[in-house]
Amino acid sequence: MFANRRLGILLLAPATLFVLVGFIIPVLILLAGAFRTGDAWSFANYTAFFSQPLNREVFLRTFRLGLIVTAVSAVLGYGVAMAVVEAGPKSKGRLVALLVLPLMISPVARTYAWLVILGRTGFVNVALTSIGLTDAPLRILFTETAVFIGLIQLFFPLMVLPLISSLENMPRDVVPAARVLGASWFAVFFKVILPLTREGLVVGGTLVFVGSLTAYVTPAILGGSKVLMLETLLYQRVSVANDFASAAVIAVILIVMSILTNILLKRLASVRRRR
Amino acid sequence: MTARNILALGAMSLLVLGTGSALAQQKTLTISVYGIAQDAYKAALYDPFEAQCGCKVVVESGTASERLAKLEVNASAPAVDVIAFSDANALEAANKGLLAPIDPAKVPNLADIYDFAKDPLGNKMGVGYTFYGTSIVYRSDLVKIESWLDLFKPELAGQVALPNITGTQGPITLFMLQKAIGKDDPKFADAIDLVAEHKNDVVTFYNSGSQLTQLLQQEEVIASVTGRFSWPSLMKLDMPIAWAAPKEGQTGGMNVLALVKGAKDPELAHQFINYWLSAEVQQKLAEGLVDSPVNTKVTLPEDKAEGLTYGAESAKAINFLPPAQQLENRDAWLSGWNSKVAN
Amino acid sequence: MRFAGNTLLTLVLIFLIGPFVIICIAGLSGGETLAFPPQGLSLRWVQRVFEIESFRSAFWLSISLAIGSTLLALILGIPAAYALDRYNPPMAETIRNIVTAPIIVPGIIVGLALLRHLVVPLGIPITLALIIGHTALLVPYAVRVVSASLINLRTDVEEAAVMLGATRLQSFFKVVLPNIRSGILAAFIIGFITSFNQVPISLFLTGPGITTLPIGMMFYMEFNFDPSVAALSGLLAIMSLAIVMLAEKLLGLSRYV
Repeated sequence: MFANRRLGILLLAPATLFVLVGFIIPVLILLAGAFRTGDAWSFANYTAFFSQPLNREVFLRTFRLGLIVTAVSAVLGYGVAMAVVEAGPKSKGRLVALLVLPLMISPVARTYAWLVILGRTGFVNVALTSIGLTDAPLRILFTETAVFIGLIQLFFPLMVLPLISSLENMPRDVVPAARVLGASWFAVFFKVILPLTREGLVVGGTLVFVGSLTAYVTPAILGGSKVLMLETLLYQRVSVANDFASAAVIAVILIVMSILTNILLKRLASVRRRR
Repeated sequence: MTARNILALGAMSLLVLGTGSALAQQKTLTISVYGIAQDAYKAALYDPFEAQCGCKVVVESGTASERLAKLEVNASAPAVDVIAFSDANALEAANKGLLAPIDPAKVPNLADIYDFAKDPLGNKMGVGYTFYGTSIVYRSDLVKIESWLDLFKPELAGQVALPNITGTQGPITLFMLQKAIGKDDPKFADAIDLVAEHKNDVVTFYNSGSQLTQLLQQEEVIASVTGRFSWPSLMKLDMPIAWAAPKEGQTGGMNVLALVKGAKDPELAHQFINYWLSAEVQQKLAEGLVDSPVNTKVTLPEDKAEGLTYGAESAKAINFLPPAQQLENRDAWLSGWNSKVAN
Repeated sequence: MRFAGNTLLTLVLIFLIGPFVIICIAGLSGGETLAFPPQGLSLRWVQRVFEIESFRSAFWLSISLAIGSTLLALILGIPAAYALDRYNPPMAETIRNIVTAPIIVPGIIVGLALLRHLVVPLGIPITLALIIGHTALLVPYAVRVVSASLINLRTDVEEAAVMLGATRLQSFFKVVLPNIRSGILAAFIIGFITSFNQVPISLFLTGPGITTLPIGMMFYMEFNFDPSVAALSGLLAIMSLAIVMLAEKLLGLSRYV
């Protein structure tokens, strides 16, 4: 630690001022708009927003999809992370690079690929019908399933990477020890692995859940107008109707949900650690 | 990386960004148009106009509602000079005070265009540059369409797409459905109920013409509703797609050019509008099957005319939904749609 | 168990990577419309990508925006991270929260807020708003990644440099900066890719002739249904692959996990 505090403040000032003026203040003004009706402060915008069945439906759908995507990527994530760790340090680098790759590719390109794959005459349906699993092509595009598939591909890497690092930090011999003592694989997972990798799960879970809540490209392209999510609804409210009151309400909902998730999951992780 | 390198890179990137604004020194005309067929417009309209005026044409494209919202947000300092809209969107913009009247004296080509396109909004707020018919397109090998109500035939369940209410084609589709039901109601309550009743049979409510092309090509749907402007790209699909002649008739719309209030160079904007209406440009756009001409001097061979909505006679046969009526009832349609269909 | 794990790993990798293979192949279609399997193979749509002017200008805008805003974020973020770690500034926690706030605010809100409450009232140009929005998004990454590498750098090296007569500034440039080089490079790569692929922030911040590449692709898709977007997606995927391989080679990406 260096003593010169004035220098410290000087070094911090540009970044802090930039983020305040170029980011926090405009966002706060926007959010404040959600509590204004005419000249008064009120919650009227919220009651108006939630009185519309469409808006309620979109809210619930966004929440539901976020939870499902997080849960499924957690389950798959543990399996994949364990396989990567077991593969040994040599192949690990290559495997991680492969897992990271989708994160680096434009989400538009990523989502566009699914359009070709999931269509009625797309890859999946052609394969399914040719091996005789279905008679008629399945309708996948423009359903929640399509959005779910797109979101899983988009955010799975964010779950698996923290899991890999927390599995690696786990003491090597705990699993064999538990096995020797006669614990089933099931028990080993829930009693040993899960508690010891909780932190990775929390970090991954936060990233995936918040990511799914706030995804735009995937629901816009794969869901279309029948599977609106909060973010696509916000864009639609603004770009089609100049309805800034609803947009601000959605913004508040999204921010509150992502901050709450952050806090809640951080609590979960740290409670464990202190014990 | 040393500090000097970082600074040099920073300066370089600022330079790169700066070149954009340096180009803006030249005389520019900014136009806002539908995103469809931009290559054809570039060849037939933008490039020749640039050569003629010695200026640069900057194009903003997107769906009408998005561009209208932007126009409104930027009203105090408009970024756009000339805007192409559906007649209803243009009237809405005019009512919001976003447009300026066109001076007919500066648009001599007005003399050559159909009367119905000369001042469709009143107060000289816009001039029609094209019109189109809207009907049902369908796979003639799989289904037969004779009425607007056939969209909800059982064999089309799960294989039909409709235009979204937020676009131009959505309301006019409801208009024809209401007409087909046979009850007079400017709020289209019966048509909305009909769509709501069948909403699970509708694959999606599409937002743009290319989405429809994709839906038909991938056999997501075998019937839908669209304007004639989509026809060229549908014909490219090489599928047995037919244009229906429903017994209730076709609907359609007109697109207009309007002058944005506060345009930086109104003189140049008038010049551009005039050029777009000229027989030369209208002929080229018609031959490319991009836009049906409003200029009476355009003559088309039979095969081209077939792909478009050509001539005063076909314009008369279209059931137009007047823009004023659209604006008046739109809120009612939207709230009916949102509470019954969209959720 | 091991077998099951490897099977799962293979299936997941196919799920993650397969779509890119498919989009690359679809982009090589010789037909008029997007389809898989493609109707014949040709390079016509790849060639077409380079002819579409809106893609070209959007590409250059996206590249300069990504480089410019990443550099700006580093210029702002490195001193901030250094101060947070080495000096004990008043309200350190609050300031850390402020500079890392942009990461938790959904991008679409940032874009809308900048448009409504910065661009419109102050009349600043859209390009500047894009730089501000993207830089704000990247500052948290810069601060976090650089902080992480500073923690591993012992302070006594700097003290030694100062004792030997270097000024604070000299010791920063001669001692600290070279030692956190790979952290900065990592932050640069993350920042560049984040900005280059960013959609929601840029969604509202487009103007006539000003569109970033991902937004340009989405707009193009709205009105055109040909394989050129697939070809472009394939090219972008290959570009990302090259960056990942380069990063792995230079930095050993897996060390950062």
